[in-house]
Amino acid sequence: MTNYAIAGILGVFFGFSLNKAGLTKYNKIVGVFRFTDLAVLKFMLTALVVSMIGLYGLRGLGLIVFPSVPSTYIVGNIIGGLIFGIGMALTGY
Amino acid sequence: MKFVMDYIRKEEWSPYVAGILLGIVGVLAVLLSNSLLGASGAFENIAGLIGKAVAPQTFDNMYFNFIMPPGITWGVVLLVGVFFGGMLGAFSSGTFKWRLVSDEQWKKVFGPQVWKRWVLAFLGAIVLEYGAGIAGGCTSGLAISGGMLLAPAAYLFIAGMFASGIVTALIVYRKGY
Repeated sequence: MTNYAIAGILGVFFGFSLNKAGLTKYNKIVGVFRFTDLAVLKFMLTALVVSMIGLYGLRGLGLIVFPSVPSTYIVGNIIGGLIFGIGMALTGY
Repeated sequence: MKFVMDYIRKEEWSPYVAGILLGIVGVLAVLLSNSLLGASGAFENIAGLIGKAVAPQTFDNMYFNFIMPPGITWGVVLLVGVFFGGMLGAFSSGTFKWRLVSDEQWKKVFGPQVWKRWVLAFLGAIVLEYGAGIAGGCTSGLAISGGMLLAPAAYLFIAGMFASGIVTALIVYRKGY
């Protein structure tokens, strides 16, 4: 139950950050593919850097064990990404 | 303090500030419940749940039994939180509004017809979810959550996503690109 409460609360902050970064808007998402507005990249990469530092730091201190890392299957990952990109650029989600 | 409150109310934050917030959320997800953020997986969990109830034989396969087991998972609850979080964000800046077509720029590119937006959103979302299913995650579940664990899969996915996204935008915008 606690786990679900954590999920709900973290979800609210997740959605809040998406909204404030403007990623809920079509023009922001498509902007990154047209190189007119790189907010998506800035947002994503900042999040990546912050959480990388946090996670690897916490693991170094022995406080966490990494959950299952998404598996790598080169062809699937790339083809999935290619299909995903079409949908993303069309809908702006 | 007033400065902070004013900033929270702003419609649009610097993407770097919003990114730091998401980064912290990503760390907390692992620290507090040993889970990764994600969105597309939750839809598959729900789809599995519905599918198992409506057509149990069709859904009795490897994918829905083992890879994406149906149920109200951690990710589903997270997704509900995302919905309300996004709403809260819009309320905080006073920009919350019911709309049939979400964006002015969309109208300029595809025309003002409402049905077009809904049909394309529906079809595009199928393409999105299908791609995410093959790759093993979406922008949040694979690109961000996998990327922060330095999983190669995440970076392959990001490369694919931008390659086809740029080409699609080129086709849609043609001369206006």
